[in-house]
Amino acid sequence: MDLNETAQESAFRSEARTWLEANVPTSALPSFDTAEGFALHRAWEQKLYDGGWSAVSWPVEYGGRDADYIMWLIFEEEYYRSGAPGRVNQNGIFLLGPTIMEVGTQAQKTKFLPSMASSEIVWAQAWSEPNAGSDMASIRSKATRDGDEWVLNGQKIWASRAVWADWCFGIFRTDPTAERHRGLTFILCPLDLPGITVRPIAQLDGDTGFAEIFFDDVRVPLANTLGEENKGWAVAMATAGFERGVSLRSPARFTEAVKRLIHLWKTYGDPTDTALSDAVTDAWMQAEGYRLHTYQTVTGMLEGRTIGAEASLNKIFWSEMDVRIHEIALQILGPEAERMEGPSERWVDGFLFSLSGPIYAGTNEIQRNIIADRVLQLPKGM
Amino acid sequence: MKFSFTQDQRLFAEGLRDLLSKQCTPTHVREAWENQTGHLPDLWSRLTEMGVLSMLVPESQGGMGGTLIDAVLLFQELGRAAVPGPVLEHMAVAAPALAHSQWAHALNDGTATATVWVDTGPYVAHAQVADLILRNDAVITGFSSTDVHGIDGGRQLFTISGGSESAASAQVFGLPASDVMALASAAYLIGVSEAMIEVAAEYARQREQFGKPIGSFQAVKHLMSDALLKVEFAKAPTYRAAWSASTGSSTALRDISMAKALASEAAYRASRSTMQVHGGIGYTWEADLQLWMKKSWALMRAYGDATYHRRRVGASVLHG
Ligand SMILES: Cc1cc2nc3c(=O)[nH]c(=O)nc-3n(C[C@H](O)[C@H](O)[C@H](O)COP(=O)(O)OP(=O)(O)OC[C@H]3O[C@@H](n4cnc5c(N)ncnc54)[C@H](O)[C@@H]3O)c2cc1C
Repeated sequence: MDLNETAQESAFRSEARTWLEANVPTSALPSFDTAEGFALHRAWEQKLYDGGWSAVSWPVEYGGRDADYIMWLIFEEEYYRSGAPGRVNQNGIFLLGPTIMEVGTQAQKTKFLPSMASSEIVWAQAWSEPNAGSDMASIRSKATRDGDEWVLNGQKIWASRAVWADWCFGIFRTDPTAERHRGLTFILCPLDLPGITVRPIAQLDGDTGFAEIFFDDVRVPLANTLGEENKGWAVAMATAGFERGVSLRSPARFTEAVKRLIHLWKTYGDPTDTALSDAVTDAWMQAEGYRLHTYQTVTGMLEGRTIGAEASLNKIFWSEMDVRIHEIALQILGPEAERMEGPSERWVDGFLFSLSGPIYAGTNEIQRNIIADRVLQLPKGM
Repeated sequence: MKFSFTQDQRLFAEGLRDLLSKQCTPTHVREAWENQTGHLPDLWSRLTEMGVLSMLVPESQGGMGGTLIDAVLLFQELGRAAVPGPVLEHMAVAAPALAHSQWAHALNDGTATATVWVDTGPYVAHAQVADLILRNDAVITGFSSTDVHGIDGGRQLFTISGGSESAASAQVFGLPASDVMALASAAYLIGVSEAMIEVAAEYARQREQFGKPIGSFQAVKHLMSDALLKVEFAKAPTYRAAWSASTGSSTALRDISMAKALASEAAYRASRSTMQVHGGIGYTWEADLQLWMKKSWALMRAYGDATYHRRRVGASVLHG
């Protein structure tokens, strides 16, 4: 065990810090859930890519730096420290990208990865359906073979950033006779094809951060299949494990939020309120604990261990911590926390978004089921 | 940056787990409760032979020359088996602190047993079976002890009177005894929690109601998942605290406090969930569950409770 950075890691950190300090926009960009904000975030991604920082853990040939997971965490720390914009192509770079590297063909890697790293193509995840949320295996949108094409029909919902995204990665039923998670296929599809209708959905904050996607005889080549036909569930689960386990919410997001929380407490908090200072301290411990836990997980991955169902523990932990951090901030802000602007603006916005954390990427109830069944080996209930 | 244990560290801990699975079963732990000493001399000899008790004593003084990183998984294993007696006090503090004293030899070969008295509480655990007490900068011998009836039969509590004092160092790796005890008990509590969760999961697989194992009911599943969550997220902070303590890090005391606060709360959560999952049998003297539950209720209070340690962390991170 050695929790000090190596010379190489420190050098990497300072290189990242220097670049970010010189390049991060000096004023915050508008939300990427607006047309203007989306375009500005895409431009920022292009700049990150040109600097070689958009996908540090990817192989060099696809636009990355071959950084290991520890370096990826270091980069994330520097990224959040610098106050850089949110990652508009998160679903591509951190979720689909690693999956393509794992199960994609060489042609798919060459075709999709560089344009993903540069965000020339921004990706949306089209898994959920109106009647297939937690119960994702009951997906009904279907893909039917016709020559060397898939014909897609059905409806997806809650696809983040799909309003302005370029492509989506979806899961479709390809074997109508197969039940549940069998007979599903993972298919990549441009969002501007004939037969596609994207209907924006306003989120709790009023912005259209996600969308419904309707497929009406949409044709894509069979070559857009990721992984094997009818094995889409396994492909999706590989992606979901990585998402929940490490890449979706890196610890730096929360350690930086807690730094701001402590600053808020120093500015507005009542120092004689010990319940409040205990709560702020607890938030610090949670963020720090999550950071340490992640370094431990990632060291394990570097030593050849894989993350399985334990990834569900992470997902519950970070999402509940995020809600808690924001609740404490609003408590400190008192009457100001009723307002959408002023000193509370960022915290109220953040509070609203934090409430979706226990829902997206698989609800926390579903995660608890997974932990009970697969980690604790309790008998199946359903 | 490398946050993992070496193969040797893991193997040693597995060896200890093996030993304890035979020599420190619930039957043994009950024996310690019932013999009115909270101590198992036979087990003590085994732990001495294996080098567990002298893990932190320098090799030059006849010990294993280990660091707190080497020891932290051992503390955890000791907790899994709810090992009774002054094992943490002796191993984590007294033996290394007194490694250069006249007591060194007897403490290493198991002929003398030591406990520790720190300022976070008025009572001395295990005084009745201890030949000496390390208290701040003194060793107390020839004392008399009065039982004050601790909740955990494997950790009997006393007040002390009389005795004679001789000067000694109560530092381990440059840290105060109370902090080393906080670290050791944090790791021990993690082991206690793991054991409770395993016992409860096993019970939930076996026990049937409404024609199904109770573990198939979602309320039970979620209770257990939440307990596991707290324990899993107390581990890395505890291992980090061991690293900070071993390397003389300037944040060692803060890190130890963070570990003790999290481990105490995790153990309490695990005890509540485990008992609930057991239903009526969980509220009996007969069920072995109490051996771990009472250990958690004792050690979460000893050597600084969660509130005490959280405030120490707060003093460092809110005002630092
Ligand atoms: C901000 C946000 C962004 C999202 N982005 C995307 C995206 O980009 N792509 C995408 O495909 N999806 C996305 N989603 C969808 C998300 O994954 C689903 O909302 C989620 O999986 C829950 O499905 P549902 O909404 O149908 O709720 P339901 O499944 O109907 O769940 C409703 C409630 O019932 C509970 N419940 C359901 N089944 C069980 C059970 N077996 N045991 C216990 N409790 C149960 C749930 O936990 C929940 O509390 C997003 C959602 C949000 C909020």
